[in-house]
Amino acid sequence: MAQITINGKVVKAREGEMLLGVIKREGIDIPALCDHPAIEPTGNCRLCMVEISRAEWEGWKKYVTSCLYPVEDGLIVHTHTPELLEIRKNLIDLQLARCPESELIQKMAEDYGIHKTSYEIRPDSDNCIMCYACTRICEVLGCSAISPAMRGHDKKIAPPFDQPPPDCIGCLACAKICPTNVIKWHDEGGTRTIWDKSFEMISCKQCGKKIITKDFAAYIVEKRSLPPEYFDLCDDCKRVETARKMGEIVARVEEVAL
Amino acid sequence: MKFRFKVTPNLCIGCRTCELACAFTHQQNSKPGRSRIYPISYAPDKWVPVTCLQCDDPACVKACMFDALRRNEETGAIELDKERCVKCNACVAACPFGCALNDDVHDEVIKCDLCGGNPACAAFCPTKALEYKRIA
Repeated sequence: MAQITINGKVVKAREGEMLLGVIKREGIDIPALCDHPAIEPTGNCRLCMVEISRAEWEGWKKYVTSCLYPVEDGLIVHTHTPELLEIRKNLIDLQLARCPESELIQKMAEDYGIHKTSYEIRPDSDNCIMCYACTRICEVLGCSAISPAMRGHDKKIAPPFDQPPPDCIGCLACAKICPTNVIKWHDEGGTRTIWDKSFEMISCKQCGKKIITKDFAAYIVEKRSLPPEYFDLCDDCKRVETARKMGEIVARVEEVAL
Repeated sequence: MKFRFKVTPNLCIGCRTCELACAFTHQQNSKPGRSRIYPISYAPDKWVPVTCLQCDDPACVKACMFDALRRNEETGAIELDKERCVKCNACVAACPFGCALNDDVHDEVIKCDLCGGNPACAAFCPTKALEYKRIA
């Protein structure tokens, strides 16, 4: 166990865990857009900046992204100094220029008193903040269907050669994890479309309800060696089926008892 | 595991008190959630309260690619880490008993968590069709 000070309060934390986790656990609210427990931190959005220092540093301090900074004994952390607020305000200002139509960024900007970005607004913005949460979650899944493409001003998240990605299985993890809801998909009549690729959904054999795509189910079956028949019915029909099977067991038990 | 959730179907009278208890225990911002337990009639006047069986070899845990479902060794429940969950619905599709489901009200994936060790359904069940007992 390590002992650190956050905003003057002494806090116990596990040595090596990331500072952001401790800060959140303490109920201190700092913005962090690209942080998600299911993916490794990369410090891309940079909003979770905090000020750290140590007693032996004689007043020296530095600014670090808390999602990437491991806890060490004796750290002195500040989360809301005027300098930090200025840094965060600047970052959000930049994001607002990049993603002028993102509701989340707009709200954050309002919270920090920015009504209009002081930078040039990016024309034809796609509202992507380049946090790579989508590509990282796809890596966790083991597909890596999408990745950052191009450089500099043209940089974007895209499937290889802007073609429908061959490795995508239509799980929607990238779309659901995206903090600014950039990745668009739609489900229509048994077909799901994402990244310009169409997927056939599994239809419940009894009621026709659709939950996941055939490719995703096949992927789970292969990776986790589950029986494919688990995916035949939807959850509602499976519950009815469970009740029927349990009823059969009850009837048999009662028969034996008689 | 120190506890076991016991379902005795032939004691169930289909009063659906468990469903109410569940929905209200899992309320958020004063909005009741979707119930994780469903009394289903399989024959006239015969009921089975269908809820998560907290399997020994759970399909939901296997299907979750993001490690969001884990067993709580204290209560025996397989708990869903809401922070980790990306709502891909893999567990909903994989559970062979249909006991991982979607809560449309709060837009999240839900499953029985045994209320963290004091299941409200068992506490409210008037006929003791649902019981939560210490074993060994």
